[in-house]
Amino acid sequence: MTTPVATPGGSPLPVPVGAGNTNGTPVVAPVRSNTHKDGGSSLGTFGVKSGLAQMLKGGVIMDVVNAEQARIAEEAGACAVMALERVPADIRAQGGVARMSDPHMIKQIVDAVTIPVMAKVRIGHFVEAQILQAIGIDYIDESEVLTPADEEHHINKHAFKVPFVCGARNLGEALRRISEGAAFIRTKGEAGTGNVVEAVRHQRSVMSEIRKASVMTEEELYAYAKEIQAPFHLLKETARLKRLPVVNFAAGGIATPADAALMMQLGCDGVFVGSGIFHSGDPAKRAKAVVQAVTHYNNPKILADISENLGDAMVGLTITDEMKGGRLASRGW
Amino acid sequence: MQSGFEINKNVVIGILGMFDRLSPSIQLVRQIFVALQGAFAEHQVMLKKLSLKRKLCVVLVRSEEDLAKCDALILPGGESTTIALLARLAGLLEPLREFTKTKPVWGTCAGAILLAQTVENTKKGGQEVLGGMSISIARNGWGSQVESFEAPLVAEGLRESDRPFPGVFIRAPVVLSLNPKPQDPPITIVARISAGLLPKTQTLVPPDEDDTDPRDARTIVALRQGRHLLTTFHPELTTDHRIHEYFVHECVLGSSA
Repeated sequence: MTTPVATPGGSPLPVPVGAGNTNGTPVVAPVRSNTHKDGGSSLGTFGVKSGLAQMLKGGVIMDVVNAEQARIAEEAGACAVMALERVPADIRAQGGVARMSDPHMIKQIVDAVTIPVMAKVRIGHFVEAQILQAIGIDYIDESEVLTPADEEHHINKHAFKVPFVCGARNLGEALRRISEGAAFIRTKGEAGTGNVVEAVRHQRSVMSEIRKASVMTEEELYAYAKEIQAPFHLLKETARLKRLPVVNFAAGGIATPADAALMMQLGCDGVFVGSGIFHSGDPAKRAKAVVQAVTHYNNPKILADISENLGDAMVGLTITDEMKGGRLASRGW
Repeated sequence: MQSGFEINKNVVIGILGMFDRLSPSIQLVRQIFVALQGAFAEHQVMLKKLSLKRKLCVVLVRSEEDLAKCDALILPGGESTTIALLARLAGLLEPLREFTKTKPVWGTCAGAILLAQTVENTKKGGQEVLGGMSISIARNGWGSQVESFEAPLVAEGLRESDRPFPGVFIRAPVVLSLNPKPQDPPITIVARISAGLLPKTQTLVPPDEDDTDPRDARTIVALRQGRHLLTTFHPELTTDHRIHEYFVHECVLGSSA
């Protein structure tokens, strides 16, 4: 069951220190400032950041590399697209340093569709994030798929008006990202492999740790917070809600409608599909099938119908330390 | 504007939703939701909080059979393109249009777009809507997520109307104009934002001759026509359930509440 999360006023979540939280000067004429005085408004509050993620629930977010693919994704019913220069499978195959995409190419995708557009930045690369915020992107993915720019620090995501999604392998990692300001969590999975095993491992790990925490006494929660290196107040809130305090999607290795439905049955709120769509035989058909699979995830009869005749799925990889590109999920701290 | 409920009958409210995470134990008054994609669980929680004399049941609507059980419907926020596509694939578009003709429907954000007669800023090739309210609306009227905001609203007709309602606007649509035909039910403005909060990018559409309200239509963020309610913001993301209360009392139950 889904509990509404991060509602303004009722949430012990960290308050953003950036826009929307400065007790500024009194507003004479009601202008769109950062103050919350009479008639004034607050931009980029945690409420609107996590609120957008809540609107994406039950949806599919697709990786696209150009405007044409973005249009195919929108027509197939994607609730958002992720704009990037190379899908993870190509980043893995071609190697080299993977960076933020060209803003011009991202803007072309923004112009092509009406649904929200996300883009990736390197872990810790806050200037790439500033650039994406400046061009008005809807969501930023601080992603392990790109080459990390900082091996110790993640971006201070509270300082931005634009919301962030981050990957996590377990509860501790998810809560550390939320404490840094992430308004949306996804599993890391193992991007670009077409192999769902790591995403399953990460989702099961998060869910089992939440179940464990939900029956703990307060004393036990203090000790558990220390063990999983999570902020105590977020752990306590998670235990109370019996779910992450923000929306949680599946990502990394999802290639078929069945994979998407599997992740939904494991408790995810929605699904990211990266290389799985546009590295397959019939992207438009597969995209539509994955969207329907996320909607009807617990109806095997519908799943059987939509899984028929989808053409070739992307070529899958066995996940080993020696595979090309290595394990991306181990990036992030 | 009749109230079609027998006194001891439950009221069923549906939430249009292809995503079922409704808890199975919900037995409230009868009302109905549609949830294909988007924020239905949030609406469900809000409806649970209402104290009503009537019993209200909340169900999730993903098929024609679900819809047939409903006395009223909530179209939740989400992505209107996704919700419309999923509704079409599930064979729900026509049943929804029929439902909208006779029963109360409330659209929030994406749902508001679906309820409008005409939509601007649509995806290439246009987009399917249900119609039902004689207004014109623009998608993403304020721009991208960076422009999403919260602002206090002055709402008329709500309980404790002197207390502002917390408006949460996320890539929200903007009402461009009201175009009621003489035979349509009259439109009541429920809430406005101050003109200073209006997006600079959106141009004003000249008001229709029949439009009796001289003020800028773009400041309207909640309105009612007949038994339909439309909000461009997200009451389900707040802890204030007065708009849910308004919908149930005024639109669904009418005088029988």
